[in-house]
Amino acid sequence: MKIVFSGVSKVFDPDIVALRDITLKINKGEFVYVIGATGSGKSTLLRLITRELLPSRGMVAVGSVDLRGMRRADIPYYRRDVGLVAQDFKLIPTLTVYENIAFVMEAMAVPSKIVSYRTNEVIEQVGLWRRRFMKPAQLSGGEQQRVAIARALANSPSLFIADEPTGNLDYRTAADVMKILFAINAAGVTVVMSTHNQNIVNASRQRVIELAEGRLVRDEASGGYFD
Amino acid sequence: MTTFKYVLRDMGRLVVNHWILGMLTLITAAVMLWILGITTLFSLNVENLLSRLESELTIQAYVKKGSDVERVSQQIQALESVYSLKAYSPAESLSRLQEKMGSQSRALDLMGDNPIPWNFEIHVKEAGQVEPLVSRLTAMPEIEDVVYAGMVVRRISALSKVASHVALIMFVLSVVITALVVYNTIHISLYSRREEIGIMYLVGATRTYIATPFVLEGTLLAFLGALVAVGGIVLTYFPGIALLQANLPFLSSSLIGDTHIIGRFCFLLAGFGATLGWVCSYIVVARFMHSVTRPE
Ligand SMILES: Nc1ncnc2c1ncn2[C@@H]1O[C@H](COP(=O)(O)OP(=O)(O)OP(=O)(O)O)[C@@H](O)[C@H]1O
Ligand SMILES: [Mg+2]
Repeated sequence: MKIVFSGVSKVFDPDIVALRDITLKINKGEFVYVIGATGSGKSTLLRLITRELLPSRGMVAVGSVDLRGMRRADIPYYRRDVGLVAQDFKLIPTLTVYENIAFVMEAMAVPSKIVSYRTNEVIEQVGLWRRRFMKPAQLSGGEQQRVAIARALANSPSLFIADEPTGNLDYRTAADVMKILFAINAAGVTVVMSTHNQNIVNASRQRVIELAEGRLVRDEASGGYFD
Repeated sequence: MTTFKYVLRDMGRLVVNHWILGMLTLITAAVMLWILGITTLFSLNVENLLSRLESELTIQAYVKKGSDVERVSQQIQALESVYSLKAYSPAESLSRLQEKMGSQSRALDLMGDNPIPWNFEIHVKEAGQVEPLVSRLTAMPEIEDVVYAGMVVRRISALSKVASHVALIMFVLSVVITALVVYNTIHISLYSRREEIGIMYLVGATRTYIATPFVLEGTLLAFLGALVAVGGIVLTYFPGIALLQANLPFLSSSLIGDTHIIGRFCFLLAGFGATLGWVCSYIVVARFMHSVTRPE
């Protein structure tokens, strides 16, 4: 799915300007890093794509649909095609690792046999097999982050939005997660991830979008962290 | 079908998680619906009793000697509250009296000449019409005397009014209280899971899928409450009317004791409880979902 921002600004109450006049285009199958100092608007940019937020000005379109004009009934179906790893994980505290991942497919009326097969598969993929019946509160930050990644993978989405998916991970685990993301990207999934990790950005040389105080200050085809 | 299974499981989780609150809701709903049921049955019985008594509401009017019976009878029949009128001649009245007195009727022979004047037996339709009619009859110069069950009639019609008012008030009160309690419980249930609701919506669950377990929770609690209320009614109503019939035998024919009618009534009550729970939780869930799923 192609993502288009045209003249997008986002102002939070009372008058915090998180994004100013952003115009950019991400093609289907691209891999994009979004970088920038803390508070520069990275999460805001990603949350506009998932339609958690609506722009104050301008337009965000995914596929060929203007997200503002999307019918309310279509929103869940759109989101099923978007794998989301939120910066704060957004796990359900009362459910186990397994249940946190399974419910997304359950909500799509997937039969329980397939749900359990696929859930176990992604749990194994992120290396949490022995934690699968624990609740989020019993997990470390990095483990919770991997649950969120597994949940986003479960649906086999065509767009993967990850807000600092390696933020709490050590070097090796982060490398494992990046391997997964490159693999799904190679299979055609569009990946947009924000990160503070310069090693990751510099190692893979993908497209880099840099924000500063809500402005788009750099958009480079195969950039590094500092250029 | 698959969805149905997941939704039921989620509803089970909700009920188990908030079981103390759920029990309180269920008990409140049960008590309120029991009160509703019993007052409704009580007023139905009073209505029934009244309609029977009312059909026996008669006024006896005695005509002065030497009046034109035919004319007076027409005058009275022209009054609108008069349902039926039957005139008895002195001879007829005497023989009716003799019939009633049976073996003691010989006492009447001692009176010599028949002292009973021409008289009318007048029926009215409703208890409330008796008093006005009596005062109009008394005002007629040709009428010697009027006999009627004054106090009884007044009491019954007053009771009927009070009973229907009380029933209405109790009805509204118990519906409102049940509705509020269900509404509040589901609101708490939703509120304690607002984060979870937001997450589910964010990763692609439809609003209906998220909302249905909450609506079912409210419906189930109210329905179970109604079932308990029905049990309570069966346990209290039948002994209650048995007691009344034993102590006030003249009432027996006017009480509703038919198990079929009561059964149907209980069925309605259970359905009413479930519907009430459904409507309340639907409203609260719809409002809540709207505010939680709105994008910033
Ligand atoms: N819901 C909100 N209400 C008000 N202000 C907000 C809200 N969300 C974000 N902001 C503000 O918008 C600006 C950008 O926030 P954002 O979360 O996009 O930054 P970020 O680049 O993701 O930072 P970090 O690297 O720390 O995650 C910040 O100044 C923040 O305070
Ligand atoms: Mg952020």
